[in-house]
Amino acid sequence: MPSELLPNFANSPRTISIYRCNWEKDVMSNDGVNVQRRRFLTVSTTVVGAVGVVGAAVPFIGSWNPSAKAEAAGAPVKVNIANLEPDSMLSVEWRGFPIFIVRRSEQTLEGIRKLTGQVADPESTEYPDQQPAYAQNPIRARDEHPQIMVFKAICTHLGCVPQYWDVNHPTDRDEWYGGFFCPCHGSMFDMAGRVFKGVPAPSNLEVPPYYYESDSVLVIGLDSEGAAA
Amino acid sequence: MTKWLSDFWVWIDDRLPVQRAWDTHMAKYYAPKNFNFWYIFGVLSLLVLVNQLLTGVWLTMNYVPTSEGAFASVEYIMRDVPYGDILRYMHSTGASAFFVVVYLHMFRGLMYGSYRAPRELLWIFGMAIYVALMAEAFLGYILPWGNMSYWGAQVIVSLFGAIPGIGEGLVQWIRGDYLISGITLNRFFALHVVALPIVLILLVFLHILALHEVGSNNPDGVEIKKNKDENGIPKDGIPFFPYYLPMHDLVGVIVFLFAFCFIVFFTPEMGGFFIEYANFEPANNLKTPEHIAPVWYFTPFYSMLRAINFDIGPLNSKFLGFMVMAAAIAILFVLPWLDRSKVKSIRYKGWFSRIALMVFAAAFIILGVLGVKAPTEGRTALAQFCTLLYFAYFIGMPFWTSREKTFPEPERLRMKGLPLWMTLGGLVLVAVLSFVPLKAVGAESAFDCGTIPCEDFKADLSNKESLQRGAKWFDNYCYACHSLKYSRYKRVAEDLGIPPEIMTEAIVPDAKKIGDLMTNAMTREDGAAWFGTPPPDLSLETRLRSPEWVYTYLLNFYKDEARPVGVNNRVFENVGMPHVMVELQGLLECAPGTKVGAHGEAVLDNSGEEAVDFCGELVPTGEVTGSMTEEEFQQAVYDLVNYLEYVSDPGAEERKNTGVYILLFLAAFLVFAILLDREYWRDIH
Repeated sequence: MPSELLPNFANSPRTISIYRCNWEKDVMSNDGVNVQRRRFLTVSTTVVGAVGVVGAAVPFIGSWNPSAKAEAAGAPVKVNIANLEPDSMLSVEWRGFPIFIVRRSEQTLEGIRKLTGQVADPESTEYPDQQPAYAQNPIRARDEHPQIMVFKAICTHLGCVPQYWDVNHPTDRDEWYGGFFCPCHGSMFDMAGRVFKGVPAPSNLEVPPYYYESDSVLVIGLDSEGAAA
Repeated sequence: MTKWLSDFWVWIDDRLPVQRAWDTHMAKYYAPKNFNFWYIFGVLSLLVLVNQLLTGVWLTMNYVPTSEGAFASVEYIMRDVPYGDILRYMHSTGASAFFVVVYLHMFRGLMYGSYRAPRELLWIFGMAIYVALMAEAFLGYILPWGNMSYWGAQVIVSLFGAIPGIGEGLVQWIRGDYLISGITLNRFFALHVVALPIVLILLVFLHILALHEVGSNNPDGVEIKKNKDENGIPKDGIPFFPYYLPMHDLVGVIVFLFAFCFIVFFTPEMGGFFIEYANFEPANNLKTPEHIAPVWYFTPFYSMLRAINFDIGPLNSKFLGFMVMAAAIAILFVLPWLDRSKVKSIRYKGWFSRIALMVFAAAFIILGVLGVKAPTEGRTALAQFCTLLYFAYFIGMPFWTSREKTFPEPERLRMKGLPLWMTLGGLVLVAVLSFVPLKAVGAESAFDCGTIPCEDFKADLSNKESLQRGAKWFDNYCYACHSLKYSRYKRVAEDLGIPPEIMTEAIVPDAKKIGDLMTNAMTREDGAAWFGTPPPDLSLETRLRSPEWVYTYLLNFYKDEARPVGVNNRVFENVGMPHVMVELQGLLECAPGTKVGAHGEAVLDNSGEEAVDFCGELVPTGEVTGSMTEEEFQQAVYDLVNYLEYVSDPGAEERKNTGVYILLFLAAFLVFAILLDREYWRDIH
């Protein structure tokens, strides 16, 4: 800081008269500089300048957000699920990720309910951000179509794509109603994308935002029509 | 806490000369206290350098340096990247701003003799910066890969072909190809973003180091180090910090930023001088732009190049032109040894020096103006004369500076310079000397719109209804053949206030999504087969040709049986495009009418009567009657061109709105800066 900001009494040739009032002592330095005014102007100009610097940073920081091209590539995807058979799976791409859509039969849903004790987070309460609120339930699906399960097929362990094993696929599990197996490190998930206990993956598979445009058309990427992406 | 901090500070300072550097270059660097307005441009060029480095780094994040991707990636930055248009315009405006401040900085040096001993090396570093800057600007100009980029590169690179013997091989080596191509673009990109910036930063560092070694010159040209007080501090010096930086300089910086932001936010092309219109067309190695001219900062030297249109003995004009251009820059390097005057500053130099400097400045300006205009006989003669003056200034300098009668230099610095009338007189002299000769060599004669003058057209991008109607006309009458391939449906819908559902239903084709680019199905091959030339993409058409041109063009189709499509156009003769809106306008045909001159006035024939043009006006044929009245049709075409003008730079309207706030902020900031500056300078004068 410039030395002028501080009253420099030490080098003053004059002594401060006792008749000078306190106000003057505070405000005027020995060489007639109005310290208060100078300090006020320095601070206020600095503040205004700082606002300017922040403003100038806006385009630089803002330009790192997804561009219109990235947004267009990541736009919501419409999927026709009319022909999806019970206990079969459909894979679509959204924002570059594989999204699995499964239509579960009544038996499968029944099986999911029986597995409560064997999965790590049966109610999806431990990691609430892994699904939108409307899918935070044991079967992890929207109320309108409880048999339809939509999830991002990225293993929550280290990001590999799990494989669909149907109910007839041989496993070493005692109870098996179908589910997903990650080939990288052997993590297993049930037909609601819930992770079994004792595997490396920490949390249930992620459910992306989705809604039903009609009974047969599913939109992935938005919570509802007109919602922000 | 305080103890810990001060200990840490001592620890650092013991290992790094922080305090010493601060004192040497800031707090104990004593600058003459009589700096005037001309001393702001050094700081400003540093500021612009920082701006160029930052925005440049950010532009490379989205720019694609290939011949296939470069042009589209620039439009991608302009339209799709958040704030991309602002970053790009900051960079393009910064390039011109750099030369503005550097030219003024150099002129300051000429006026006050800042190149004289002991500042020769300082001047030479400065000149090296100038040369590096010209190279950097030239290389950067290639990167957008517009047609002007391409042909600018072609012309400048070909210059090296003038060198006898090795020329042709050298040119091919520089290009890395048999023509300017993506290979050339790639290497120029590497030089522009990596190599030359490093050189520039190094040179700037040396320039400042040399300056702080010898100390700043001043408007009096008197060394302040000759008069020191008992502590060895120059009596006429004041600490650079805080009196100049930040106090005094802040005021100048804000004024500069005000002008800079005004250009960035309101008129980034600066009427075609900062960004040339012909560069809104992608590079085309088979077609040179109609009017080719370098960006304004190169035009004085370009004029000299063109002025040499004669051979001398075995030396042809191409080689001579190249040599003259090179010599014009090289001679500046030896300036410190050409000036033999007893005094440094124009304040104390003789009248001959003073007038000579003004004449030199005027000659430089004239050369610059001529460089952006098409050459005529008169202009070439003027350019030759000014080239002569340019060199005469330097070659004559040793003679008049050593002979002329100078005025006595003062012992100490003066706060006041030459009297106001003399300063203003100098300015007026330069203005008159520049203006009169240019006026004498005449105006352009060609029409801006083919065979006729352009109609008036004023875009109104805030008129959403007009833009929406324009989007509809485009969809109905243009989109079958012309694309808007750099634009996205979604952005258009948002900017024009069209609800996305309606946009999707009415305009977005079935196979596409609202976020997609507005390409169309016609291939270039089909277009070429059907119309002779493929219908161009119209994303940038109004920027390339001007909205006036497009507006006038669309109104001036007329019946011409000789043409394959049955119509011709008064603006674009023998155009391949059919009259797509004939059902709206009706078919017109030529009728004799008054011949119109360049300024809309009637042309008289030899007998003094008004001359008649066989196609002076267009009248209805009656063969096809339009469904619209003339006014309705003009309105429709207005809306369409207004829409095209919007599409050509979709961020324009929003930038203007933002710009107002930025300028207001800077104005407020300026008040604070001035008050603070006055507070600190209160006791100095």
